[in-house]
Amino acid sequence: MKPTGLLFFPAFDWAISPTHPEREERLLYTRDQLFEEGIMDLPGIKEYKPRLAEPIDIAAVHFAVPDLNAHLLEAHFVAAGSTLVIADAFMKGEIKNGFAIIRPPGHHAMSVSHGNRGFCNINNEAIMIEYLRYHYGVKKVAVIDTDVHHGDGTQEIYWDDPDVLYISFHQDGRTLYPGSGFIDEAGGPLAYGTTINVPLMPKTTDEGIHYVIDHLVLPLLEEFKPDLVVNSAGQDNHYTDPLADMQFTAQGYATLNHKLAPDIAVLEGGYSVETALPYINMGIIMAMAGLDFSNLREPDYARENFRESSRNLELIKKIVEVQLERYRSSQEEIEKNRRSKTEFFNEYRRIFYDTDYIHEEQKVRLRNCQHCCGFRMIESTAQQRSGKLYRVMCISIPINCCPSCRDQAISNYQDLIRFDRYDYVYLQDRIVRQYRVCQPDLEREEIIK
Amino acid sequence: MLIGIDVGGTFTDGVLFNGRDIVKTIKRPTDNNNLQSVMLDVLDDLLEVVPDQKTVERIVLSTTLVTNLLATGQGKRTALILIPGYGLPHAAYHLSPDTFFLSGAIDFRGREIQPLSLNEIISLAEKLKKQGIKRAAVAGKFSNRNRSHEDQVAHILKNEYADLEVTLSCDISNRLNFPRRAATAYFTAMVSPEWQHFVDEVEKALQQKGLEAEVHILKADGGTLPLSSSRKYPCETIFSGPAASTMGALALTMDNQNSLVVDIGGTTSDLALLVEGLPLHASKGARLLGQYTHVDAVSVRSIAIGGDSPLAFVDGELRILSQRQGPAACFGGETATVTDAFNYRLSLNQGDIDRSREYLQKIADMAHLKLEDLCDRIINQVVTTLSEATREMFKEWENEPAYRVWEIVHRKHFTLDRVVGIGAAAYCIIPRVAETLEVQPFIHRYSDVANALGAAVARPTLSVYLHLDTERSLCAVEPGGIVEKRSDIGKYQLEDARQLAVNYLYEMGKVRGMDDYLEDYKVFLEEQFNMIRGWSRTGRLFDVGVQIAPGLIQAYQGVE
Repeated sequence: MKPTGLLFFPAFDWAISPTHPEREERLLYTRDQLFEEGIMDLPGIKEYKPRLAEPIDIAAVHFAVPDLNAHLLEAHFVAAGSTLVIADAFMKGEIKNGFAIIRPPGHHAMSVSHGNRGFCNINNEAIMIEYLRYHYGVKKVAVIDTDVHHGDGTQEIYWDDPDVLYISFHQDGRTLYPGSGFIDEAGGPLAYGTTINVPLMPKTTDEGIHYVIDHLVLPLLEEFKPDLVVNSAGQDNHYTDPLADMQFTAQGYATLNHKLAPDIAVLEGGYSVETALPYINMGIIMAMAGLDFSNLREPDYARENFRESSRNLELIKKIVEVQLERYRSSQEEIEKNRRSKTEFFNEYRRIFYDTDYIHEEQKVRLRNCQHCCGFRMIESTAQQRSGKLYRVMCISIPINCCPSCRDQAISNYQDLIRFDRYDYVYLQDRIVRQYRVCQPDLEREEIIK
Repeated sequence: MLIGIDVGGTFTDGVLFNGRDIVKTIKRPTDNNNLQSVMLDVLDDLLEVVPDQKTVERIVLSTTLVTNLLATGQGKRTALILIPGYGLPHAAYHLSPDTFFLSGAIDFRGREIQPLSLNEIISLAEKLKKQGIKRAAVAGKFSNRNRSHEDQVAHILKNEYADLEVTLSCDISNRLNFPRRAATAYFTAMVSPEWQHFVDEVEKALQQKGLEAEVHILKADGGTLPLSSSRKYPCETIFSGPAASTMGALALTMDNQNSLVVDIGGTTSDLALLVEGLPLHASKGARLLGQYTHVDAVSVRSIAIGGDSPLAFVDGELRILSQRQGPAACFGGETATVTDAFNYRLSLNQGDIDRSREYLQKIADMAHLKLEDLCDRIINQVVTTLSEATREMFKEWENEPAYRVWEIVHRKHFTLDRVVGIGAAAYCIIPRVAETLEVQPFIHRYSDVANALGAAVARPTLSVYLHLDTERSLCAVEPGGIVEKRSDIGKYQLEDARQLAVNYLYEMGKVRGMDDYLEDYKVFLEEQFNMIRGWSRTGRLFDVGVQIAPGLIQAYQGVE
């Protein structure tokens, strides 16, 4: 039996600020618990060492404005690189599954990055997924976001990609950051149904969450048939989390991972550093390694405190029913959109960066294509923390793009760099893994290595 | 004068060292049923040339006693009493056939989260009495942060069953890793009486011989421990053989280079690394009977090929066998060996080279190979095996987990400077290994007694780990099992924590007679965490490690 890969990178020398939830102390007690349990000594566990991600790995996902060095610290390169280490080990068959317990987190980071939002600068899972698609030819990926916050970054990155199924359950956006993830957010016009959101009422317990797993997540995985299942493993649904208000337990998390059987899990949020993280991390590792986790519990756990209300359960059942139906009828919706005479689908949106206090405006255009899911052009404007205003154009050619869309995307890029309408024009060509950055006014173009 | 004796699996080596000279060396076959007598015989042989016993200043012994007791199942029946609390299933701990579990739990901050059950402990005492088990090791999860459960269990057990010998895991080690602490305590309990007996015997014998020298035991980490202090920590003496040869390599080279140390024995070769002049330690501690322990040990990789490994042509295949049949043909043996292949092919003129050729020819005939081709194949296999194992060791060292951004950005990289050959067959084999690894070989005329020399001149070592939790006024120190409340640490900064660790090091070092080395301490671990609750700091956590690292005694200035 192959071991479970474990990459523990607590970044003991990185913090957003000394008293921020993302501080050095976050995984300290998890370290104590894991080390004291001696879980790394078990034959069923293989520990890995992080490495730095390359700029090209990050550029495969992000348009960092103006460039990667502007907001990224070495810690971000290490966290992203850690997911690549686990991905390599998994694809090379060294491990049966893998868990990257890393910080900083990433699931709020979107394609265009002007700074830090929701404690995230770059999206670790997306960087890993694009790496796997290019280097190993992985086609269909399912991301199950088990963080209490809606993973709006991951959702945005794969909004128009029908080969990535993104399912997120989270505390209802009306009661928690980032205020999104409602049931109608279901994917772009050509990838409708491969984004599935399950907003849950505060105080939802193990029972409610497991209803979603059993009756929605597992059936959808069965139907979608992904080549790879990723758990975006936030730990803040826990009943002691200081930033959220749910009632999930360490047993609940362990059981979830037992059922979900993710190929790769990547830590996201979770800020109850003493009373939750040590136990949840143990639980996830044990579940992934196939160890009996019945002896795991929090010191203050008392079963009688966690009863799901029948009213909430009814609501959950209704959401599950709606979302199952949506997924199953999504092809019709996509065909309808394709048949429309629209050449480009347009969308306007505003994105708020809570950590860095930036308001970004985006105009997104998606090409309507009969053969593929089109390519995206994102026009982004934001005044960054430095006070500098950026107006940039980002063109993204997805890995499953058809030749005609790709040609047009490249020709659009070439047209745009002839005028200094934008401070920066980016071309992200995932098919040949080439990422260009151009400053039209300086007539300077760079290829990210 | 200095004396070093290394009791190995096959031979017991001894050296008498004076000034810059090796005055006498002794090699005798080891009698595994009576380790002491051979050791004392070797001591007598060495003392023959000493005019005045008083001139012997230091004796260092390296013995396989504890390793042997455990490996051959001669350790006494010992109950392992675990207080694991929540976490891994009980089935994860299958160390002893007599394992017992007690309820009770402590968390990572040392807070009790579940009390002990008095009734359980009393009925356990009854059970042990009934089963006639006279030794027990007690280990609780996070007992390194709060030892009260282990103490209470010992107290109640002794009350109920006075004859029971109890070893506590927190007394043996204070570091994180409960299974390793449990294993170390369990093995300690198993061999403790035999070790006390050994120490008694040695002390008596030395007294009878009128020796007043300081006596040390070589530890697995390449450092020494005064014989008297070893009573509490018998497991520290395991795997001292590879530690002896590694320290021997350091004694012969005397610099800060990166060396691969290859100790070529009869049928195995042990590989170790000197990184900038310090022996590289196994990152997970020594592994005993398949269990990781908290014993710091030189990282050793063993290869099943030695100088006396016989060559054979079996089932249509040319093979290097693992069972020794005697010395190499050139040294009077009756089989062609690895040494013979190197000796003949490289014209090394070791022993009777004609016998090498004669015995190699027999195998070459069977394999229908030219003599030169046969030798080349063997040499190739040996060199490839050794150099691959070496590269794996580098890689393992480079890939040891790291938990800080700084460590990942500044990747460590190992560049080898040379290969040091130890053991009689080193002269034949090492130059070719060094050539493959593209570095210089280093072989000294005293290479074959480097282990005993290494023991004789290794200095004492001591590592002190300090854990402070200012919010809980908790202070925990290893060694010694100190876990206590300290009201004075509330305002501590990292410098204060470091100073406290150094104070403990001085205090313990003086007891161990290490005064000469204390100023040479190094800080090897320094961690500080602010504890933030709400938006303000409520305390600090410190982990500090200071040590006297392995090295050579001041009196040793090299060998002529």
